[in-house]
Amino acid sequence: MKACARGVMAAFVLAASLTGCASVPSGGRVITGRPAEPAEQVDDPYVRLIPVSPRPEWDPAQLVAGFLAASASFDDGHKVARRYLTGTAGGWNPGARPPVLVFADRPRLEITEQNATRATVRASGDRLGSIGADGQYISDPKPVDVTFAVTRAAPGSPWRIGGLPPEARGGLILTKSDVDRAYRTVNLYFFAPDGGTLVPNGIFLPLVNRRDLPGQLVRALLDGQTSWLGSAVESAFPSGTRLRDVHVEDDTAVVDLSPQARSGDVERMSAQLSWTLRQLSEISRWKLEIGGDTVASRGYGAVQPVRAWDGNAPDGPAVPDQPAYVLASSGRLSRLTGDQPQPVLPAGGPLVRPTVSPDYRQVAGLSPSGDRIVLRDLVSGTTFRTVLSRHSAGTHFTAPAFDRDGALWTVETKKDHSWLWVVPRGGPAFRVTDWGLADREVKAFRLARDGVRAAVVVTVDGRAQVQLGRIVRDRSSGLEAGAFLPVSSELVDAIDLSWRDYATLAVLGRKGNDTRVLPYLIPVNGGGISSLGVGALGNPTSIAAAPGAPVLIGTKDGGPGRVCRQRAPRDTISEWTCPVPGADPTYAR
Amino acid sequence: MFLTQQMSNALLDGKIKAARLQLDEGLSTVERQLGNQPDNGSRLDNVMAGLKARSGPSGLYEVYIRDTRDSSFDGYSTNELRVESIPQRLRDELRRSPADTTAYTFGKLSYVGRPSERGLIVGGKAGQFELYYLFPLTQDQRTLTVVSQALVGVGVVLVLLLAAIASLVTRQVVIPVRLAAQGAQRLADGRLEERMRVRGEDDLAALARSFNEMAANLQDKIVELEDLSQVQRQFVSDVSHELRTPLTTIRIAADMLYENRDTFDDPMVGRSAELLQSQLERFESLLADLLEISRHDAGAATLDAESLDMRDLVLRVVGDIQNLAERKGSKVLLQLPGEPCMAEVDRRRVERILRNLLVNAVEHGEGEDIVVSVGADRDAVAVAVRDHGVGLKPGEGQMVFDRFWRADPARARTTGGTGLGLSISREDAQLHGGWLQAWGEPGAGSQFRLSLPRVAGAELRGSPLPLVPPGAGGRPVFAELEAGE
Repeated sequence: MKACARGVMAAFVLAASLTGCASVPSGGRVITGRPAEPAEQVDDPYVRLIPVSPRPEWDPAQLVAGFLAASASFDDGHKVARRYLTGTAGGWNPGARPPVLVFADRPRLEITEQNATRATVRASGDRLGSIGADGQYISDPKPVDVTFAVTRAAPGSPWRIGGLPPEARGGLILTKSDVDRAYRTVNLYFFAPDGGTLVPNGIFLPLVNRRDLPGQLVRALLDGQTSWLGSAVESAFPSGTRLRDVHVEDDTAVVDLSPQARSGDVERMSAQLSWTLRQLSEISRWKLEIGGDTVASRGYGAVQPVRAWDGNAPDGPAVPDQPAYVLASSGRLSRLTGDQPQPVLPAGGPLVRPTVSPDYRQVAGLSPSGDRIVLRDLVSGTTFRTVLSRHSAGTHFTAPAFDRDGALWTVETKKDHSWLWVVPRGGPAFRVTDWGLADREVKAFRLARDGVRAAVVVTVDGRAQVQLGRIVRDRSSGLEAGAFLPVSSELVDAIDLSWRDYATLAVLGRKGNDTRVLPYLIPVNGGGISSLGVGALGNPTSIAAAPGAPVLIGTKDGGPGRVCRQRAPRDTISEWTCPVPGADPTYAR
Repeated sequence: MFLTQQMSNALLDGKIKAARLQLDEGLSTVERQLGNQPDNGSRLDNVMAGLKARSGPSGLYEVYIRDTRDSSFDGYSTNELRVESIPQRLRDELRRSPADTTAYTFGKLSYVGRPSERGLIVGGKAGQFELYYLFPLTQDQRTLTVVSQALVGVGVVLVLLLAAIASLVTRQVVIPVRLAAQGAQRLADGRLEERMRVRGEDDLAALARSFNEMAANLQDKIVELEDLSQVQRQFVSDVSHELRTPLTTIRIAADMLYENRDTFDDPMVGRSAELLQSQLERFESLLADLLEISRHDAGAATLDAESLDMRDLVLRVVGDIQNLAERKGSKVLLQLPGEPCMAEVDRRRVERILRNLLVNAVEHGEGEDIVVSVGADRDAVAVAVRDHGVGLKPGEGQMVFDRFWRADPARARTTGGTGLGLSISREDAQLHGGWLQAWGEPGAGSQFRLSLPRVAGAELRGSPLPLVPPGAGGRPVFAELEAGE
């Protein structure tokens, strides 16, 4: 009887506890989490254009307009766009990564001639540039017009496009907004010739389907670098390697490569794939298979986190809290401790725009007149010596910078002429013969930390433009620096730049109709620029940036220079403050 | 089922409310940004870029916007959403209704490259633009599934709990009661050592204690009575034995007196010697009967069976009794079957029974004829002795077998019956596994029937002869039958 009563009690308690749970908590402890990456994710939400099939009552111009709009839809392999074409032109198949002619806006369409069964439609507009089949965007602004031949079988029957212009035969004609909508800029990663450092290769990739994105990325990576990087980088994938399959389970991607990959270096291939796949937020781990067999890498095993392979980072190994150097008001090179410059050299020298080698052993800079490059060891007590003097009258050098091997790079320039000089450590200076900007004036030259890419401020048509090029280090033919392409068209004038990290440049420049020079962050893969910080800066002249370190700006406002930093460096809109007396800030790495 | 329905309604109501609010916000954004300005592809693009921000991976909703005036394309949708997801009925409804209405429906959201799912679709118009929000209901479906699974789980647990409680109650109440009933049954079957198990302190334990107390008392009393009865029987047996020795001496003396009775001068003394002699004989036979019945009581009687023809036994006993019958004026008639009636019987005991019955019949026969009939069938033989004397009153059919019972207590014991004859006869019959039964009717005489199995110790199922003689009958039959069992 008592046990029976106990049972009834238990039933009541159970029922009470079950019903008691059905309520939303009104308090409790604080749960913390990491925010999503603030930068634009490759797999962020996107917008697709819905194409329509041609309507029978459309005139030739409407037909062409419909075709151009439908071209922007990558669904089902451009099935709808093909309905606009006649049978003879029906073989048109742009494929998954077609070359694209990019117009600034929808082209104006006019019917230049028309009879009962034939018409010609001219589409004219401002071309911004083109995207190659490898995803490389080449800016080439120019007004162009293309013509479409439109036919119909008999008067009264619907018009169809019978002849595509040459630009559209193997590709697409899209507007900038189409490209913005349907394309993503992604980075592929390849190895610099030094062997260990990865170099990002930004490409435009059509966003056909988010589910397909990992496959598209890996396929693009296997296709190799774009023509722009060319032989400046190398891929660890043996030629002929194809992607058999890639699928994502939970947050783990399985990448299955064809058997040709067996001859490749698993670790180097893994590093390239890890860095490429980490752009997809849905993937946090991945597994490499070759011909269906799981392949384990040394160090990370079979299932690798995408955040692995930090040793191959394009920025080199991370350096926490690396010191900033400034020229103190006495002219002596000083290290910044908090906001206080601590001199590291006993006396001032004939030096502006100093730069410190990544191993902290050497310091170099411009002579005050800019006609010489001076250098001295930081540790042994020598004095500055001239390692490079100008070779032509009327030229001056840009601020020099060390690369990772300790070689010093600078450009000797004057109006419409420039020469690139390299001063290897312990060796004589030499001129890079193959220099792509020889007939332009260069205001700044900065090598990226991967040693392959170089950002310059170059004067084009009287305006200082930021351009990105690459250095090919070939054992036989030496160095070649070229293939400079504009990074952004939004910035109209630039003074100085510095690499914030492998994907971002910190640039002092003017935007649009602004009159003041302000700092901006420019993604090198062609994304939108963003201004950095708020507040007055006076007259900024130089900028220094490093991964994970605050951006520093040297200003001169008549009197002695000051170095500015953001009040809260992690916050891009934090206001500027200039507490440091000094000039020409720089980071060693 | 009802609970799940309730829950799904509540979920969907909330979803619909949120969806309509979202749509209102989206419509106002569209109106604000596009308004009546001339269409420009990139402006619609920008609006869409704003609207998409919360779609996609967070799984909240997908958006589809359409410019009814631009025929060159069919608007924009977010992510993988296919435009077929918007049902034609919703489009038609919106087209028909006035400008500021919104509508919603449920449908199937289909996607490029992934399976379709159920969803809620809300739509509205802002000027020339149609705006649709599509909310996947996968999460809600999952919630409902989880809840209904939980409900099923709770149901199962409750059923198990009920079963456990029921079995607990059974164990605690029903099984002890059943055990008590079995115990009482066994006690009734004579197993006096049977006791109930006492467990705990509850009512059933009290019942078990009372039961056990009762059983113990009962056992004590019965043992006491058995002991007492044993003592009595022993006493009777001892007395009989002890009486024998002096009786033998008295007998010798009496015999001597009797032989010399003629020599006594006084005829009265002679008469006394005769009386002594006759009463001594009676005393002896009484003592013998007492010893016999005490042997039966003690269970010491044994059967000395041999195969005999019942007719021979009957003839012999009738021969013995013939004198007595003639003296009484009775004639003994025999009804014997032609073939032998063989049975395994103890000659001495059966002769004693028959003699007893015949003497009784002669004594109570009132001088009328006495009929002795013998019957046999496959399993049994029977002897019936019929007289036509005073008969038996109702109830006396059983009492005749009681010890020292007499039909008429006042009646003189002339023929020297000891009063134990029928008792002993009945014991003898039962020793054979047979029956001895009596029938009688006042004025109509009586009949005694002895039925014996052919094989000693076999069970007797019926008798070859009727208990009630043909021609007589009526009510008393049943009483006698009853008595015979």
